[in-house]
Amino acid sequence: MPVLQQITIPLLSVNDTSLTVVAILFTQGAAIIKDDILLVLETSKTTYDVVAEVDGFIGYTCDENEDYAINEIVGCIYSDSTEVPVEHSKSKKNKQLAAKPTTLGNTGNTFTGETVFSEAAIALIEANSISKESFIGVDFVSKTIVEEMLGIKKQPAGKLTTGISLLIPVDTTKVVVEKISSNKKREIAFLSTVQSTGLTSTIHTQVATAGIFVHINTTLTYLKNSLLPVIIYETGRLLLKYPLLNGYFTDDAIALYKEVNIGFAIDIDKGLKVVKIPSASTQSVTQIEEGIMLLSNKYMDDSLLLDDLTDIGFTITDLSAEGVSFFKPLVNNMNSAILGISAIDEKLQRCTLSLTFDHRVTEGKTAAGFLQELKLRLQSYQSKYHPNLNQNIACFKCFKQLKDDLADVGFSKCITPKGEEAYICQSCFKGF
Amino acid sequence: MVVQNLNHRLIKLALTIRTVEEKFLSLFSEGKLNGTVHTCVGQEFSALAFAGQLQKKDFVFSNHRCHGHYIAFTGDTRGLLAELLGKASGTCGGIGSSQHLCNNNFFSNGIQGGIVPVAAGYALGNKLKKNGAIGIVYIGDGTLGEGALYETMNIISKWEIPLLIVCENNFYAQSTPQSVNLAGDIRARATAFGIQTFKGHTSAPEQLMDDAAIAIDYVRRQSKPAFFLVETFRINPHSKGDDDRDAAEIQSYRDRDYLTIFSKEQPAYYTRYATTIQKEVDDMVAHIVTEPELPLEAYYEPSIQTNSNTWKPLQPVNKRQVELINHFFKDSIAVIDEMVFLGEDILSPYGGAFKVAKDLSVIAPEKVFATPISEAAIVGISNGLALNGFKPFAEIMFGDFITLAFDQLINHASKFHHIFNKKVTCPVVVRTPMGGRRGYGPTHSQTLDKFLVGIDNIKTIALNTFFDPVIVYQQILKERHPVIVIENKTDYGKKILQHKEANFVYEINDDDYPVVKVRPAAAVPTLTIVAYGGMANLVNDLLRSIFVHTDLIPELIVPAMISQLPVATILQSVKVTGKLVVIEEGSSFAGIGAELIAQVVERATEKIITKRIAAMPVPIPSVQSLELAVLPGAERIIEAIKIHFL
Repeated sequence: MPVLQQITIPLLSVNDTSLTVVAILFTQGAAIIKDDILLVLETSKTTYDVVAEVDGFIGYTCDENEDYAINEIVGCIYSDSTEVPVEHSKSKKNKQLAAKPTTLGNTGNTFTGETVFSEAAIALIEANSISKESFIGVDFVSKTIVEEMLGIKKQPAGKLTTGISLLIPVDTTKVVVEKISSNKKREIAFLSTVQSTGLTSTIHTQVATAGIFVHINTTLTYLKNSLLPVIIYETGRLLLKYPLLNGYFTDDAIALYKEVNIGFAIDIDKGLKVVKIPSASTQSVTQIEEGIMLLSNKYMDDSLLLDDLTDIGFTITDLSAEGVSFFKPLVNNMNSAILGISAIDEKLQRCTLSLTFDHRVTEGKTAAGFLQELKLRLQSYQSKYHPNLNQNIACFKCFKQLKDDLADVGFSKCITPKGEEAYICQSCFKGF
Repeated sequence: MVVQNLNHRLIKLALTIRTVEEKFLSLFSEGKLNGTVHTCVGQEFSALAFAGQLQKKDFVFSNHRCHGHYIAFTGDTRGLLAELLGKASGTCGGIGSSQHLCNNNFFSNGIQGGIVPVAAGYALGNKLKKNGAIGIVYIGDGTLGEGALYETMNIISKWEIPLLIVCENNFYAQSTPQSVNLAGDIRARATAFGIQTFKGHTSAPEQLMDDAAIAIDYVRRQSKPAFFLVETFRINPHSKGDDDRDAAEIQSYRDRDYLTIFSKEQPAYYTRYATTIQKEVDDMVAHIVTEPELPLEAYYEPSIQTNSNTWKPLQPVNKRQVELINHFFKDSIAVIDEMVFLGEDILSPYGGAFKVAKDLSVIAPEKVFATPISEAAIVGISNGLALNGFKPFAEIMFGDFITLAFDQLINHASKFHHIFNKKVTCPVVVRTPMGGRRGYGPTHSQTLDKFLVGIDNIKTIALNTFFDPVIVYQQILKERHPVIVIENKTDYGKKILQHKEANFVYEINDDDYPVVKVRPAAAVPTLTIVAYGGMANLVNDLLRSIFVHTDLIPELIVPAMISQLPVATILQSVKVTGKLVVIEEGSSFAGIGAELIAQVVERATEKIITKRIAAMPVPIPSVQSLELAVLPGAERIIEAIKIHFL
């Protein structure tokens, strides 16, 4: 019999299900004699010496500072030194090697550890003959994940089951993959909050713009022929009447901003940002225009401050320079509505305003009321409503006064044959 | 002439006490006192002989019949009158009223017997401070039926604590004559514990004053306890109209009453004194009744619970939990003067049943007290030490035994701060191991946490093996109010965070008593699990299995403080998962799970599916198969989740 004594972990205290080997007192294969202390074990209460009962050669199957369960074999005394194994199977080195395939490397958003499948997921995977390899990079594969992959179930709004977009296949032989920037991810998250509920609606209205800038341009310096300053101006005042559009939905309440701070979206090759015109309800059109210019400059100089970007209660996005006819703007996080400005259709003399709103905060009637009032306010800038201001405008060919333009079409600005700036009525312009 | 030799100063003081007591009865009849009043008419000289002969540095603990003791020790008649009239200027702002007074080392509490170990603890504190102060605790003969008294007499004798127990024997326990419910000899009770005894009678006040002075001197000089039996007569009812005693018997008390005799023998003096004192008391009352009462906000201010949402990674510690706790005490007791450690079997080399106290008695022998099996006295003495500025750590050997100390926790530790209108704090700490899975059987395995978290104004902490328990104990050192720490027997031998389930991230927040979150590495969780104490470790080992078998991706939240649960943190998780299961080792009825789920549901805006998994409502059996079946184990947990949520 080569093994003379098996050394097992003794039950020393009812409270300890395992003991720690704190000291190994001989080298592997060393000759020992009866009553030699072979090991020192530590319980939760004390230390305990393991003593040799016979003479022989010690072969350990344990490591220092490792825990071993009660009754686990941690060594043997052999009659012959050749019987002693050179390296035992429980060594730390072996343990690490064995553990390696399951080691997690969870860095950032990328999961590189072992994928765990639920029983329900495995059943579905097997029933549909899907390869488990498809799920590399996912930590937990539940039945829902498999169903989403199979297209049986859509991801619930606002709750992405997994942060990894694995479910949309990517074949790199056919597509070039470009990582989404962190800015874009933030933008997605920002817009997901409200839109993911599916409880938003968009309504549109068309504003007659004929002659509208005749008056507006007299107050504008930098942004002539732009509706944005005056829309911010009028929206600021209207939001005092429609406070629900200057707030947002919280878990169990509606938060209403005390200030009317209007944000406008800006994106000039430096990423989309919404910047703030503070206290818009108290600012003049000129002040608002100056504010827009100042914020635009800061955007270009990368000198926007946190305060320029926060506490915005209502957002306006102006795509009029992009030539769009109408579009559906997306409500920002901590907002209940957003106003979109489309391009002015020069032929039809009108432009579309679109309002997307959060149904959890308000409803269609209120939103429509707001949009209708805004439309009327903007149309009030048309020349026919300002006869006094336009009395000096006359067609340079027929000398008709603008106030006599009964067709309510307006005059055009033009350059005379003498190279001077002047106005021409529609009749003369068309060569009547 | 029987009264000629007594100092008239004492007679005037006794008359003051009587006048105040009779004023209280009159005010009660007029409906101006809220509640009840226990007067000491006939017993006044007991107050003057003992409380009246102490030094300013000494202390008095008294009982429900405490007005005379209070006036004799503090001289604060006005504060007493205002207190019973429920005014903010009262000695305890009107909160404590008749039975609960506190002023300059004077304390009273209406719980019979419970004050005795507290007084012993306070006296032990003085002994440790070596300030030469002693103390008196007044009990009535009715209190001779209370076990806490005998636990304390044993200890004060053994530890030579300078405390004088004054037993006022008026021969009635409320309405029951002594012959009905008291066996044996009263003084022999103290003698049996080796305590020096004395005896006197209030009808001979001069002699009583002298003998009381001798007893006080004995306690102070010998630094030993003493027991003084004062025979006396209560002329008025126990409280108000509850007097069934024979009229002739009461008349015989009146006839022997010293002040009555004085009024007959010295009518001129008596009338002069009585008139002056009566006017003083009437004038004070006339003014006091116009004063305001304490506003609610000065008494109770709701605490606003917040939980940190800053999470940092958890790191393992390669040491067993019990070693870390033991090292904390070894490191602290040597350097923190106020720290005192009490418990059964804690001396070296044994060091307590679970070795938490290992070597402490070698490091600080003067501050480590091995107690007899006397849980009420252990906690009571700790309460007294805490009131006297110490930071006592009381060890209750098994959690099941804490029931024996409930009076000290509920009626003393948790209430002192409030009933004494925030004049005192009681930073006592009671530690005890709970939990089963060791085969210790029905009275050594139960988890009683739900009874503890129901005690207002005590923090209850359940240690776990996810982080170093020293974090908890360091915070407890800062606490000004009582804390109970539940340790778990099966956790003692475990190392900190030795097992991390693959695919989970282990995080801890910045709360004073940190919350641990074990979340999926990348996936969005679909099940919130809350477990604490010993259950947390078991549930941690199950996380993967729970997912595999139930298809739910679990997120585990482990609170440390269970008397104020981290609802905001749990709610945040539940909002994502919509499912909450609470796993506890005690039984579920009116338990931690019930409380937590109620709080979460109250605040949630979405529908939540909830479940409690707990021990079965029977004693924990010793036999392993049944013990494991009764406690919530792996199979039962997984099965319950599967059935309930799927």
